[in-house]
Amino acid sequence: MKHWWWKSLAVALLLVASIAAFWVPLSPALVHVSPSRIAPGEVVIHVTGYNTHFTPEMRVFIENDGQQVCASMIETIDATHARIVMNVPQGLRASMSDLSVQGLLYPGAFYSDALGDGIENDGCGNVNKIELQTPGFTFPNRSILYESIRNLHFHVPMWFTMIVLMGISVWHSIKGLGDNSLDRDRKAVSAVHVGLLFCGLGLTTGAFWARATWGAFWTNDVKLNGAAVTALIYLAYLVLRGSIPDAHKRARLSAIYNVFAFMLLVLFLFVVPRLNAIDSLHPGNGGNSGFNDLDLDNRLRVIFYPAVAGWILLGTWMYDLRERSARLRELTEQ
Amino acid sequence: MRNFSLLTLLLLTSVSALGQDAAPGWLESTLYGNGKINVVILVVAVIISGIGLWMFSMDRRLRRMEKNLKK
Repeated sequence: MKHWWWKSLAVALLLVASIAAFWVPLSPALVHVSPSRIAPGEVVIHVTGYNTHFTPEMRVFIENDGQQVCASMIETIDATHARIVMNVPQGLRASMSDLSVQGLLYPGAFYSDALGDGIENDGCGNVNKIELQTPGFTFPNRSILYESIRNLHFHVPMWFTMIVLMGISVWHSIKGLGDNSLDRDRKAVSAVHVGLLFCGLGLTTGAFWARATWGAFWTNDVKLNGAAVTALIYLAYLVLRGSIPDAHKRARLSAIYNVFAFMLLVLFLFVVPRLNAIDSLHPGNGGNSGFNDLDLDNRLRVIFYPAVAGWILLGTWMYDLRERSARLRELTEQ
Repeated sequence: MRNFSLLTLLLLTSVSALGQDAAPGWLESTLYGNGKINVVILVVAVIISGIGLWMFSMDRRLRRMEKNLKK
Protein backbone atom coordinates (compact mmCIF):
# COMPACT_ATOMS: atom_id res chain seq x y z
CA MET A 1 0.00 0.00 0.00
CA LYS A 2 1.21 3.44 -0.95
CA HIS A 3 2.35 5.62 1.96
CA TRP A 4 1.33 2.88 4.37
CA TRP A 5 4.01 3.87 6.85
CA TRP A 6 2.57 7.21 7.92
CA LYS A 7 -0.93 5.78 8.03
CA SER A 8 0.25 3.01 10.34
CA LEU A 9 2.13 5.62 12.32
CA ALA A 10 -1.12 7.54 12.76
CA VAL A 11 -2.88 4.50 14.22
CA ALA A 12 0.12 3.55 16.37
CA LEU A 13 0.46 7.06 17.82
CA LEU A 14 -3.26 7.27 18.55
CA LEU A 15 -3.24 3.87 20.24
CA VAL A 16 -0.23 4.67 22.38
CA ALA A 17 -1.41 8.17 23.33
CA SER A 18 -5.02 7.23 24.06
CA ILE A 19 -4.12 4.18 26.14
CA ALA A 20 -1.59 6.22 28.11
CA ALA A 21 -4.13 9.03 28.54
CA PHE A 22 -6.29 6.66 30.59
CA TRP A 23 -3.60 4.47 32.06
CA VAL A 24 -1.49 7.12 33.77
CA PRO A 25 -2.86 7.88 37.23
CA LEU A 26 -3.32 11.33 38.73
CA SER A 27 -0.77 12.28 41.32
CA PRO A 28 -1.90 12.17 44.96
CA ALA A 29 -3.51 15.34 46.31
CA LEU A 30 -5.65 16.62 49.14
CA VAL A 31 -9.09 17.37 47.79
CA HIS A 32 -11.13 18.29 50.83
CA VAL A 33 -10.38 19.65 54.29
CA SER A 34 -13.00 20.53 56.89
CA PRO A 35 -13.67 22.66 58.85
CA SER A 36 -12.46 25.72 56.98
CA ARG A 37 -12.10 27.87 60.10
CA ILE A 38 -9.95 27.22 63.14
CA ALA A 39 -9.93 28.88 66.54
CA PRO A 40 -7.38 28.42 69.34
CA GLY A 41 -7.89 25.18 71.24
CA GLU A 42 -8.45 21.62 70.17
CA VAL A 43 -9.54 21.28 66.55
CA VAL A 44 -10.67 18.09 64.82
CA ILE A 45 -9.90 18.13 61.11
CA HIS A 46 -11.23 15.74 58.51
CA VAL A 47 -9.01 15.35 55.46
CA THR A 48 -9.94 13.67 52.20
CA GLY A 49 -7.23 12.72 49.76
CA TYR A 50 -7.23 11.44 46.20
CA ASN A 51 -4.89 8.60 45.21
CA THR A 52 -3.22 9.02 48.58
CA HIS A 53 -2.04 6.41 51.03
CA PHE A 54 -2.63 7.84 54.50
CA THR A 55 -0.89 6.13 57.40
CA PRO A 56 -1.00 6.93 61.13
CA GLU A 57 2.74 7.68 60.98
CA MET A 58 2.42 10.40 58.33
CA ARG A 59 3.50 13.94 59.03
CA VAL A 60 0.66 16.42 59.39
CA PHE A 61 1.00 20.08 60.26
CA ILE A 62 -0.61 23.45 59.84
CA GLU A 63 1.60 26.16 58.45
CA ASN A 64 0.83 29.76 59.25
CA ASP A 65 3.18 32.42 57.96
CA GLY A 66 6.16 30.08 58.13
CA GLN A 67 5.32 28.76 61.60
CA GLN A 68 4.13 25.23 62.12
CA VAL A 69 1.66 23.49 64.39
CA CYS A 70 2.04 19.70 64.49
CA ALA A 71 -0.83 17.26 64.78
CA SER A 72 -1.38 15.83 68.23
CA MET A 73 -3.26 12.77 66.99
CA ILE A 74 -3.73 11.16 63.60
CA GLU A 75 -6.41 8.57 62.98
CA THR A 76 -6.57 7.12 59.48
CA ILE A 77 -9.98 5.87 58.43
CA ASP A 78 -8.67 4.49 55.14
CA ALA A 79 -6.05 5.35 52.52
CA THR A 80 -7.85 8.54 51.54
CA HIS A 81 -9.59 9.65 54.76
CA ALA A 82 -8.02 10.79 58.00
CA ARG A 83 -9.17 12.42 61.21
CA ILE A 84 -6.59 14.73 62.70
CA VAL A 85 -6.58 16.40 66.08
CA MET A 86 -4.59 19.59 66.57
CA ASN A 87 -4.02 21.90 69.46
CA VAL A 88 -4.03 25.31 67.87
CA PRO A 89 -2.23 27.85 70.07
CA GLN A 90 -3.19 31.48 70.56
CA GLY A 91 -1.54 34.09 68.40
CA LEU A 92 -1.31 32.89 64.79
CA ARG A 93 0.12 35.70 62.70
CA ALA A 94 -1.70 35.31 59.37
CA SER A 95 -5.40 34.85 58.78
CA MET A 96 -4.91 32.03 56.28
CA SER A 97 -3.18 28.77 57.15
CA ASP A 98 -2.09 25.91 54.90
CA LEU A 99 -2.42 22.24 55.76
CA SER A 100 0.31 19.77 54.90
CA VAL A 101 -0.42 16.04 55.02
CA GLN A 102 2.22 13.52 54.02
CA GLY A 103 4.08 16.16 52.04
CA LEU A 104 0.93 17.18 50.16
CA LEU A 105 -0.07 20.80 50.56
CA TYR A 106 -3.60 22.18 50.77
CA PRO A 107 -3.03 25.91 50.51
CA GLY A 108 -5.38 28.27 52.29
CA ALA A 109 -7.09 25.43 54.14
CA PHE A 110 -8.13 27.42 57.21
CA TYR A 111 -9.22 30.86 58.13
CA SER A 112 -8.10 31.62 61.64
CA ASP A 113 -9.52 34.04 64.21
CA ALA A 114 -7.75 35.46 67.24
CA LEU A 115 -4.60 36.66 65.52
CA GLY A 116 -1.48 37.59 67.47
CA ASP A 117 2.26 38.11 67.16
CA GLY A 118 3.18 34.55 66.36
CA ILE A 119 3.41 31.19 68.07
CA GLU A 120 6.09 28.85 69.27
CA ASN A 121 7.16 27.06 66.09
CA ASP A 122 6.83 23.29 66.39
CA GLY A 123 9.22 22.93 63.47
CA CYS A 124 7.68 19.74 62.22
CA GLY A 125 7.81 20.79 58.58
CA ASN A 126 11.56 20.54 58.20
CA VAL A 127 12.13 16.94 59.18
CA ASN A 128 11.92 13.95 56.90
CA LYS A 129 11.11 15.62 53.64
CA ILE A 130 11.53 12.38 51.69
CA GLU A 131 8.32 11.08 53.20
CA LEU A 132 6.54 12.29 50.06
CA GLN A 133 5.49 9.23 48.13
CA THR A 134 7.02 8.78 44.71
CA PRO A 135 4.19 7.50 42.55
CA GLY A 136 6.19 7.24 39.31
CA PHE A 137 4.69 8.73 36.17
CA THR A 138 1.49 10.62 37.00
CA PHE A 139 -0.60 13.45 35.59
CA PRO A 140 -0.89 16.66 37.62
CA ASN A 141 -3.82 16.64 40.01
CA ARG A 142 -5.26 20.14 39.74
CA SER A 143 -8.31 21.33 41.58
CA ILE A 144 -11.35 21.92 39.34
CA LEU A 145 -9.83 19.80 36.58
CA TYR A 146 -9.01 16.60 38.52
CA GLU A 147 -9.47 13.52 36.30
CA SER A 148 -10.76 15.66 33.44
CA ILE A 149 -7.19 16.79 32.79
CA ARG A 150 -7.06 13.66 30.58
CA ASN A 151 -9.30 15.54 28.14
CA LEU A 152 -6.23 17.52 27.13
CA HIS A 153 -5.15 14.53 25.05
CA PHE A 154 -8.46 14.36 23.19
CA HIS A 155 -10.04 17.81 22.98
CA VAL A 156 -7.00 19.91 22.07
CA PRO A 157 -5.75 17.65 19.21
CA MET A 158 -9.11 18.23 17.47
CA TRP A 159 -8.20 21.91 17.08
CA PHE A 160 -4.64 21.20 16.02
CA THR A 161 -5.99 18.86 13.35
CA MET A 162 -8.55 21.38 12.18
CA ILE A 163 -5.90 24.08 11.83
CA VAL A 164 -3.60 21.77 9.84
CA LEU A 165 -6.48 20.78 7.53
CA MET A 166 -7.47 24.40 6.95
CA GLY A 167 -3.78 25.08 6.26
CA ILE A 168 -3.73 22.30 3.64
CA SER A 169 -6.87 23.82 2.15
CA VAL A 170 -5.51 27.35 1.87
CA TRP A 171 -2.27 25.99 0.42
CA HIS A 172 -4.19 24.29 -2.40
CA SER A 173 -6.33 27.39 -2.88
CA ILE A 174 -3.26 29.60 -3.36
CA LYS A 175 -1.70 27.06 -5.72
CA GLY A 176 -5.01 26.81 -7.55
CA LEU A 177 -5.17 30.58 -8.07
CA GLY A 178 -1.83 30.27 -9.84
CA ASP A 179 -2.65 27.44 -12.22
CA ASN A 180 -6.47 27.58 -12.39
CA SER A 181 -6.63 23.87 -11.69
CA LEU A 182 -9.89 22.27 -10.64
CA ASP A 183 -7.89 19.51 -8.94
CA ARG A 184 -6.58 22.09 -6.49
CA ASP A 185 -10.11 23.32 -5.89
CA ARG A 186 -11.28 19.79 -5.10
CA LYS A 187 -8.39 19.33 -2.67
CA ALA A 188 -9.15 22.65 -0.97
CA VAL A 189 -12.82 21.89 -0.43
CA SER A 190 -12.15 18.32 0.74
CA ALA A 191 -9.76 19.61 3.40
CA VAL A 192 -12.36 22.14 4.58
CA HIS A 193 -14.99 19.39 4.87
CA VAL A 194 -12.78 17.24 7.11
CA GLY A 195 -11.54 20.33 8.96
CA LEU A 196 -15.11 21.30 9.79
CA LEU A 197 -15.73 17.81 11.16
CA PHE A 198 -12.83 18.27 13.56
CA CYS A 199 -14.05 21.77 14.39
CA GLY A 200 -17.44 20.31 15.33
CA LEU A 201 -15.79 17.63 17.44
CA GLY A 202 -13.66 20.28 19.15
CA LEU A 203 -16.67 22.48 19.90
CA THR A 204 -18.72 19.57 21.26
CA THR A 205 -15.99 18.05 23.41
CA GLY A 206 -15.09 21.55 24.60
CA ALA A 207 -18.70 22.18 25.62
CA PHE A 208 -18.81 19.05 27.78
CA TRP A 209 -15.46 19.85 29.36
CA ALA A 210 -16.57 23.43 29.99
CA ARG A 211 -19.75 22.17 31.68
CA ALA A 212 -17.67 20.08 34.06
CA THR A 213 -15.05 22.70 34.87
CA TRP A 214 -16.44 26.18 34.21
CA GLY A 215 -20.07 25.34 34.95
CA ALA A 216 -21.68 26.01 31.58
CA PHE A 217 -21.70 24.40 28.15
CA TRP A 218 -20.93 27.74 26.57
CA THR A 219 -19.15 30.61 28.25
CA ASN A 220 -18.45 34.04 26.90
CA ASP A 221 -14.82 33.18 26.39
CA VAL A 222 -12.83 34.79 23.56
CA LYS A 223 -11.50 31.51 22.36
CA LEU A 224 -14.96 29.91 22.27
CA ASN A 225 -16.46 32.77 20.35
CA GLY A 226 -13.42 32.87 18.07
CA ALA A 227 -13.81 29.18 17.32
CA ALA A 228 -17.53 29.59 16.67
CA VAL A 229 -16.92 32.50 14.28
CA THR A 230 -14.24 30.46 12.52
CA ALA A 231 -16.72 27.61 12.07
CA LEU A 232 -19.25 30.04 10.60
CA ILE A 233 -16.66 31.51 8.24
CA TYR A 234 -15.88 28.07 6.86
CA LEU A 235 -19.56 27.15 6.64
CA ALA A 236 -20.01 30.32 4.61
CA TYR A 237 -17.21 29.07 2.35
CA LEU A 238 -19.32 26.00 1.56
CA VAL A 239 -22.43 28.15 1.06
CA LEU A 240 -20.49 30.42 -1.31
CA ARG A 241 -19.38 27.41 -3.34
CA GLY A 242 -22.93 26.13 -3.54
CA SER A 243 -24.12 29.41 -5.02
CA ILE A 244 -21.81 29.44 -8.04
CA PRO A 245 -22.77 27.01 -10.82
CA ASP A 246 -19.72 27.52 -13.06
CA ALA A 247 -16.86 25.28 -11.88
CA HIS A 248 -13.96 27.56 -12.84
CA LYS A 249 -15.59 30.66 -11.46
CA ARG A 250 -16.42 28.74 -8.28
CA ALA A 251 -12.83 27.58 -7.95
CA ARG A 252 -11.39 31.08 -8.29
CA LEU A 253 -13.87 32.90 -6.06
CA SER A 254 -13.81 30.33 -3.29
CA ALA A 255 -10.01 30.18 -3.41
CA ILE A 256 -9.84 33.93 -2.81
CA TYR A 257 -12.42 33.65 -0.04
CA ASN A 258 -10.42 30.79 1.49
CA VAL A 259 -7.30 32.94 1.78
CA PHE A 260 -9.24 35.50 3.81
CA ALA A 261 -10.95 32.75 5.81
CA PHE A 262 -7.62 31.33 6.84
CA MET A 263 -6.30 34.74 7.82
CA LEU A 264 -9.37 35.23 9.99
CA LEU A 265 -8.86 31.78 11.53
CA VAL A 266 -5.33 32.75 12.55
CA LEU A 267 -6.64 36.03 13.94
CA PHE A 268 -9.53 34.53 15.88
CA LEU A 269 -7.71 31.51 17.28
CA PHE A 270 -4.22 32.86 17.86
CA VAL A 271 -4.14 36.64 17.93
CA VAL A 272 -7.36 37.88 19.54
CA PRO A 273 -7.30 35.45 22.52
CA ARG A 274 -3.73 36.50 23.32
CA LEU A 275 -4.48 40.20 23.57
CA ASN A 276 -3.75 41.22 27.12
CA ALA A 277 -6.90 43.28 27.37
CA ILE A 278 -9.08 40.19 27.04
CA ASP A 279 -9.47 37.58 29.71
CA SER A 280 -9.89 33.99 28.75
CA LEU A 281 -10.61 30.87 30.70
CA HIS A 282 -8.38 28.89 28.38
CA PRO A 283 -4.84 28.30 29.58
CA GLY A 284 -2.24 30.35 27.75
CA ASN A 285 -4.66 33.12 26.77
CA GLY A 286 -5.47 36.53 28.16
CA GLY A 287 -4.15 36.81 31.68
CA ASN A 288 -4.13 33.04 32.18
CA SER A 289 -1.06 30.91 32.27
CA GLY A 290 -0.65 27.91 30.01
CA PHE A 291 -0.38 24.33 31.13
CA ASN A 292 3.30 24.54 30.36
CA ASP A 293 4.26 26.86 33.14
CA LEU A 294 2.96 24.49 35.74
CA ASP A 295 5.64 22.78 37.72
CA LEU A 296 5.22 19.28 36.35
CA ASP A 297 3.97 19.54 32.94
CA ASN A 298 6.47 17.59 30.95
CA ARG A 299 4.46 14.63 32.16
CA LEU A 300 1.46 15.76 30.15
CA ARG A 301 3.53 16.66 27.13
CA VAL A 302 4.98 13.18 26.78
CA ILE A 303 1.48 11.92 25.97
CA PHE A 304 0.06 15.13 24.47
CA TYR A 305 2.49 15.53 21.56
CA PRO A 306 2.10 11.95 20.27
CA ALA A 307 -1.68 12.43 20.54
CA VAL A 308 -1.53 15.65 18.51
CA ALA A 309 0.70 14.04 15.87
CA GLY A 310 -1.57 10.99 15.67
CA TRP A 311 -4.75 13.02 15.24
CA ILE A 312 -3.14 15.30 12.64
CA LEU A 313 -2.02 12.27 10.64
CA LEU A 314 -5.46 10.67 10.92
CA GLY A 315 -7.13 13.91 9.83
CA THR A 316 -4.81 14.20 6.85
CA TRP A 317 -5.57 10.59 5.96
CA MET A 318 -9.30 11.25 6.17
CA TYR A 319 -8.84 14.25 3.90
CA ASP A 320 -6.87 12.05 1.49
CA LEU A 321 -9.73 9.50 1.34
CA ARG A 322 -12.34 12.20 0.88
CA GLU A 323 -10.39 13.93 -1.86
CA ARG A 324 -9.77 10.68 -3.75
CA SER A 325 -13.41 9.62 -3.55
CA ALA A 326 -14.50 13.06 -4.77
CA ARG A 327 -12.11 12.69 -7.69
CA LEU A 328 -13.49 9.24 -8.50
CA ARG A 329 -17.01 10.61 -8.44
CA GLU A 330 -16.05 13.40 -10.84
CA LEU A 331 -14.40 10.90 -13.18
CA THR A 332 -17.34 8.50 -13.18
CA GLU A 333 -19.88 11.29 -13.67
CA GLN A 334 -18.16 12.51 -16.80
CA MET B 1 10.47 1.04 6.75
CA ARG B 2 12.92 -0.41 9.24
CA ASN B 3 13.23 2.95 10.96
CA PHE B 4 9.51 3.14 11.31
CA SER B 5 9.06 -0.27 12.90
CA LEU B 6 11.92 0.50 15.24
CA LEU B 7 10.23 3.75 16.24
CA THR B 8 6.91 2.04 16.94
CA LEU B 9 8.65 -0.62 18.99
CA LEU B 10 10.47 2.04 20.99
CA LEU B 11 7.28 3.99 21.62
CA LEU B 12 5.39 0.90 22.73
CA THR B 13 8.12 -0.36 25.02
CA SER B 14 8.65 3.05 26.58
CA VAL B 15 4.96 3.38 27.38
CA SER B 16 4.72 -0.11 28.86
CA ALA B 17 7.75 0.72 30.98
CA LEU B 18 6.01 3.89 32.18
CA GLY B 19 3.00 1.89 33.22
CA GLN B 20 5.10 -0.43 35.34
CA ASP B 21 6.83 2.40 37.16
CA ALA B 22 3.50 4.02 37.83
CA ALA B 23 2.04 1.16 39.81
CA PRO B 24 3.23 1.20 43.41
CA GLY B 25 1.07 -0.23 46.18
CA TRP B 26 -1.47 2.56 46.55
CA LEU B 27 -2.48 2.33 42.91
CA GLU B 28 -3.49 -1.29 43.25
CA SER B 29 -6.11 -0.18 45.73
CA THR B 30 -7.35 2.75 43.64
CA LEU B 31 -6.92 3.10 39.90
CA TYR B 32 -6.01 -0.43 38.83
CA GLY B 33 -7.22 -2.41 41.82
CA ASN B 34 -10.81 -3.01 40.78
CA GLY B 35 -9.84 -3.65 37.17
CA LYS B 36 -12.29 -1.09 35.80
CA ILE B 37 -9.80 1.26 34.19
CA ASN B 38 -8.39 -1.70 32.27
CA VAL B 39 -11.81 -2.11 30.66
CA VAL B 40 -11.77 1.53 29.56
CA ILE B 41 -8.31 1.09 28.10
CA LEU B 42 -9.44 -2.04 26.26
CA VAL B 43 -12.51 -0.26 24.87
CA VAL B 44 -10.43 2.70 23.68
CA ALA B 45 -7.87 0.39 22.09
CA VAL B 46 -10.59 -1.58 20.29
CA ILE B 47 -12.26 1.60 18.98
CA ILE B 48 -9.03 3.09 17.69
CA SER B 49 -7.93 -0.18 16.10
CA GLY B 50 -11.38 -0.53 14.53
CA ILE B 51 -11.26 2.97 13.07
CA GLY B 52 -7.73 2.27 11.83
CA LEU B 53 -8.85 -0.94 10.11
CA TRP B 54 -11.82 0.88 8.56
CA MET B 55 -9.51 3.60 7.24
CA PHE B 56 -7.19 1.01 5.72
CA SER B 57 -10.02 -0.90 4.10
CA MET B 58 -11.50 2.30 2.67
CA ASP B 59 -8.08 3.28 1.40
CA ARG B 60 -7.74 -0.10 -0.33
CA ARG B 61 -11.21 0.11 -1.81
CA LEU B 62 -10.52 3.55 -3.28
CA ARG B 63 -7.20 2.37 -4.67
CA ARG B 64 -8.89 -0.54 -6.41
CA MET B 65 -11.45 1.83 -7.96
CA GLU B 66 -8.69 4.20 -9.05
CA LYS B 67 -6.88 1.29 -10.71
CA ASN B 68 -10.01 0.09 -12.49
CA LEU B 69 -10.72 3.56 -13.79
CA LYS B 70 -7.22 3.90 -15.18
CA LYS B 71 -7.65 0.78 -17.34
